[in-house]
Amino acid sequence: MLVVMSREADVSAFPEEPGASVASPQDLLERVATGDQAAFGALYDQLAPRVFGLVKRLLRDHSQSEEVTQEIFLEIWQTATRFDANKGAAVSWILTMAHRRTVDRVRASQSSRDRDVRIGIRDHNPEYDHVSETIEVRLEHERVEKAMSRLAELQRQAVSLAYYGGYSHSEVATMLSVPVGTVKTRLRDGMIRLRDEMGVAS
Amino acid sequence: MTDRNDDLAAQSGAYALNALSPEERAAFEVHLAESGESRTETTELTDTAVALGLAVDPVTPPPALKANLMAMIAQTPQLPRVVGTADDSASTSATATPLAAAVTPTPQANAETNAAQPSATPAESKAQARWFTRPATALAAVAAAVALIVAGGVIADSISRASLQETSFASQQADQLAAINAAGDSQRLVSTVAGGATATFVWSAELSSSAVIVDGLEPLSSDQVYELWYIDSAGARPAGLMDASTDGPTWRVLDGEMAAGDVVGVTIEPKGGSDAPTTDPIVVFESA
Repeated sequence: MLVVMSREADVSAFPEEPGASVASPQDLLERVATGDQAAFGALYDQLAPRVFGLVKRLLRDHSQSEEVTQEIFLEIWQTATRFDANKGAAVSWILTMAHRRTVDRVRASQSSRDRDVRIGIRDHNPEYDHVSETIEVRLEHERVEKAMSRLAELQRQAVSLAYYGGYSHSEVATMLSVPVGTVKTRLRDGMIRLRDEMGVAS
Repeated sequence: MTDRNDDLAAQSGAYALNALSPEERAAFEVHLAESGESRTETTELTDTAVALGLAVDPVTPPPALKANLMAMIAQTPQLPRVVGTADDSASTSATATPLAAAVTPTPQANAETNAAQPSATPAESKAQARWFTRPATALAAVAAAVALIVAGGVIADSISRASLQETSFASQQADQLAAINAAGDSQRLVSTVAGGATATFVWSAELSSSAVIVDGLEPLSSDQVYELWYIDSAGARPAGLMDASTDGPTWRVLDGEMAAGDVVGVTIEPKGGSDAPTTDPIVVFESA
């Protein structure tokens, strides 16, 4: 079984067998923190598709996605010195920052967002619409999909719109025609359910 | 627990999904500093959000993106490491009152109090630390300053106040540089300095802030200094002094506010700097 979130899983998702030439993201990030530019290149090779995929999912626009991905990796370079492996996995650190920076950009281009919110949820596609290419991604995908299927409909819609759409809770409230307070509660309940379904623990 | 705290605690899911407004996010982070329970939950929900991210299909970016980045990092300084043993309890207690702690060096007694705090469970201490590692934000700047000061309290005998302030200045500068680079409207220009050094000018109009980074800047004699200028039709405004770095690129975030269309120049001035340039600039950048 693939447990994505624990530190062990960080390693299992990116195996480092004895003698293997592929270093784990954590090792690479720690080397990046010492100013190692080659390690940065290797870390980029490993994680850029993950980051770019996520950014593109949220922003959709190709050239903006490239720009934001570049900003994210520049920030990884600058702040690698602040990464502490005792506090969480390297992949979590990077994807958390990537999501936040992308959402910042989504909010910054607010005019196009207003249009999206007006059109509403009908045109938003929270489904997973690509065929996954690797077994690893497919397993993670299936695991998330299965956990998502256990949520109440409103929870699932709210979590999807917030994470994959980059919508704020008030936008989500508008789109789902429910009060903001209800959205906050659904987001928390939904995330707690997902945590429990996927066995994520710190 | 008060109603207000209940309200805040209910935002953990929205926080993990980045669905809060900037103001709400900031308020929630203050709440996190005060509530261990919320910290643990928020860490777990943030990890859950990462699982959602890992389920997205990877897309390989165009090769030019990597080439750009490799060129950029070669010229971009990294944030200084947080020196000393800034353990979780110290970070946490510092962030509870970030402003006070940042401006007031923590005396020895406080550092001992921090060290003597009962140790948290592994999950708790991981959670305590995690939410707090938001990169390249004002919070990180405060954290760095505080950690330096806390560390200084512990090893007060071996580290002078002056060098602490120097390090904290460097840390502040690095955070500002990171902010400029991360700004949505960040732009850069590259130029060659007489003598062959490569100079990069990076600025953000949104932040009214800019920085000059020079790789291979010649060291000056001890009675001279490099001075930076913002130049507009009214003349040149002094924007800070810098010495050539002995290891890695020389760089400085300019003092004062950058106005749209400002030209930036670097001159060699007598030690202490001048009020107006006394030599021809070694490099000039036109931002407009």
